[in-house]
Amino acid sequence: MNEHELEKILDKAVDLGASYADVRHQCNDYEMITVENKALKSYSSRRLSGLGIRVAIKGAIGYASTSDLGQDSIEKTLRTSIKAARSVGGDKKPFGKTKVSKTDTKSPIKTDPIDVSPEEKVSLTLDANKAAWTGKEIKSTITRLALSKDSRLFLSSEGARIRVETALVGLGHESVAKTNGFMERVPYSESMCAGFEFIESKDWNSFTADISKLAIEAANSQTPPPGTYVVVVHPEVFGVVLHEAFGHASEGDLVFTGESVLHKKLGEKLASEVVTIIDEGTVEGGYFCPFDDEGTKKERTVVVENGIMKSYLHNRNSAQQFGVESTGNGRAQDFENIPIVRMTNTYLQPGKNKFEELIEDIDFGIYVMEKGWTGGQVSPGMGTFTFGVGPCRVIKKGELAEIVRGVVISGSILDTLKTVDAVGNDLNIMTSAFGACGKGGQRASVGLGGPHVRVLEMTVGGR
Amino acid sequence: MEFAELAVQKALSIGASEAEAYLQRARTTRVEYSKEIENLKTVESIGMNLRVALGKRTATYSTSILDESEISEAAAKAVKIAKVAPEDPHWKNVNKRFGKAPAEGYYDDTLEKLDYQEIVETLISAINRMKDYDKRVRPTRGFLTTSISKVSIANSYDEQSERKQTHIVVVMSTKAEENGMKSTGTEDQEARSWQAIDFEDLAIKAAEKAVKFLKAKSTSGGKMAVVFRNQIFANILGVILSGPINADWVQKGRSPLSNKLGNQIASENINLVDDGILRGGWHTKPFDDEGHPTQRTPVINDGILKSYIYDTYTALKDNVESTGNAQRSYYWMNPQPSPNNLILKTGETSPEEIIRGTKRGIYIEDTIGEWLSNPISGNLNATITHGYLVENGELAEPIKGVVVSGNFYEILKEGIEIIGNDLRNSAQNYSPTVKLAELTIAGKQDR
Repeated sequence: MNEHELEKILDKAVDLGASYADVRHQCNDYEMITVENKALKSYSSRRLSGLGIRVAIKGAIGYASTSDLGQDSIEKTLRTSIKAARSVGGDKKPFGKTKVSKTDTKSPIKTDPIDVSPEEKVSLTLDANKAAWTGKEIKSTITRLALSKDSRLFLSSEGARIRVETALVGLGHESVAKTNGFMERVPYSESMCAGFEFIESKDWNSFTADISKLAIEAANSQTPPPGTYVVVVHPEVFGVVLHEAFGHASEGDLVFTGESVLHKKLGEKLASEVVTIIDEGTVEGGYFCPFDDEGTKKERTVVVENGIMKSYLHNRNSAQQFGVESTGNGRAQDFENIPIVRMTNTYLQPGKNKFEELIEDIDFGIYVMEKGWTGGQVSPGMGTFTFGVGPCRVIKKGELAEIVRGVVISGSILDTLKTVDAVGNDLNIMTSAFGACGKGGQRASVGLGGPHVRVLEMTVGGR
Repeated sequence: MEFAELAVQKALSIGASEAEAYLQRARTTRVEYSKEIENLKTVESIGMNLRVALGKRTATYSTSILDESEISEAAAKAVKIAKVAPEDPHWKNVNKRFGKAPAEGYYDDTLEKLDYQEIVETLISAINRMKDYDKRVRPTRGFLTTSISKVSIANSYDEQSERKQTHIVVVMSTKAEENGMKSTGTEDQEARSWQAIDFEDLAIKAAEKAVKFLKAKSTSGGKMAVVFRNQIFANILGVILSGPINADWVQKGRSPLSNKLGNQIASENINLVDDGILRGGWHTKPFDDEGHPTQRTPVINDGILKSYIYDTYTALKDNVESTGNAQRSYYWMNPQPSPNNLILKTGETSPEEIIRGTKRGIYIEDTIGEWLSNPISGNLNATITHGYLVENGELAEPIKGVVVSGNFYEILKEGIEIIGNDLRNSAQNYSPTVKLAELTIAGKQDR
């Protein structure tokens, strides 16, 4: 894409009456190889490219995008964005100030994952799938290899020019086991913002075999009686709960409209003292977000410090509404979407306890493990959450005991965070090439995690 | 020549034995609001998916760049990948039966003429209805999306087929606040025509819900009768059954309904149909995403499992005819069997009568987390965000924050005591209000 052409479009937007304009051009290459039950199910490969133009006229925001990059089409897209803004109308100030940056940056990469030969990628995925057939109880397996390369260019009428290139690769697997009439599935995946070297560095055959073993064990197990338990939660699962139930509520747009349970809570003590929550653009193991899709640098935002609410997350629009600066959280799924307030890498800061110390004085509780969680849902207005998790272990008299299945954890996040009484000294942050966070119809890759966490009261459903 | 046909010919000319191109053009308009209209965007998107076979080796390549040179490159890349793909012993051919079923109500030309101003004004008036309903109520974040799309399919056996379709989604969302008590109320609707949506009605219902639930409390648990509002049960039906009735799941051993054709899997009052030609249905279309005509497929008849749903690949594997259920969630995805419109057939009883006939129980208005239910084991779990206690045939106190759980397959066999007469959809899933004789409610005070 010719950058000079894009600059001319911004000038034209201003000529047509826009007080602000930005243009985002994106090119995304994506491959997904799916192997089911030892056979290649599909090899699909995709290239997505296009641009989106955002304009503000008297504060009203209009947006238009196109995947047709011909000169006529781009001009038409600009005119459509202007027309859209005029039909919204009103008179307001949409954007807070931001530092204007000019930079090129990319995530660490040695081997371009798209360039690796199709043969090699197919055979690696097939082998990993075959290794999952560990016993006659295994009825079905799916293995996926996902590879993506994303390049985003941002230009604004304020003079910003930022290019961010991100590679993301991962392998996901699901085994279904059946014993004595019970079926159980365990999905799990591992991903990294890296090139193909990450895929080559791991033993995926034992990765899938371990998932199968757990699925068989889970199919043979019981569900725990519903009730309130002491639980110890794996970083990945606690990271997901934190992201969904607290992270979203800290997003400035939801706070501003009063939709969030964190509305008017700045400076208040919301969690126990061991709870410090961070949102940070670039962290080991997380998703690569050095800049957001409004050209704002994403640094380290302390959301909660020792239990006290310190900051909301903002894009330029919500920052303006709160009279603060954007925290670099204006992110868009792709060029077809307007940036909205999104998390980047949201995690709990580690504490002092070893894992053994977290469980040693639990008489009867549940250890929620990382594999097999299927996701969750929250009501940010009430702070309530529900998550389906994978096989768990019962904790009896300070020791890990038998596996239980079918566990659903739920609660109110503000109650839950108050009963977090100890956090581990381990830190584990992950991202995913498969799942992504959904909000307002847009998906975005994020990172999440933290240490192991002990929660004194958690509602456990199941049957 | 159209791009879809061109792509097929290119692929055949460089060695593919079969090729299939799926091309989608869409124009989507989305308006977002909170206290007022926040922004309006329009998206013009194009995309093509090219699937090729070399004998029994297949591959797919998709692109959003549509010009002749990219189409040649797409064909070259797809053929290159197919050459190294292992043979799929079950591969026979892409769809050989093109045609159009008599579907209606899937395209509304009003949307072509609707200008931005009118869309914005309609939404503003609905937002104002929420504000005016009660001073404790405030609109929160919601949106309206309208889309017009054109799908073209061509393959090496037949000429190009085309369909134009429209989809509209609206979410009206409110919050109420009084003396530190807070509650929310949301109504949403998915429809195929502009006229099908009564914006004011949705706005008032959302506001009314928020006000009613200001005083909602948790309640103690136990086993009790549960009445599900139609839209909520429709959603659950989709979460649990969409996978298990899919022939792909059945063939892969993932479905608990494998080897159960002809068996009684549900009580006799249960009839489930997948209907691709339901007038104005969310997934209604004359042909599926492989060009095969859609149809009405009985899935459960009087409790007996009658059929799975098929695309071409799974149908050829079972030596049956496709049921017209090939679907691509996005243009870049391969077709998979997926429900067109999954419908639980209505009974005779009105929802009011169902409640009147319930001595003690819970009425479920809204839930979250129901999609975490496990379709394989049938474990159903959902957190009730909005519900009512039912006492002596009347809706009593509003409740929230309790979990309903049960096993869906047991519910099908024993549990649907009454099926209502009020069909409603949650996307492509349709259900009336239903009453289950007994389910477990996990309250906060349990254990």
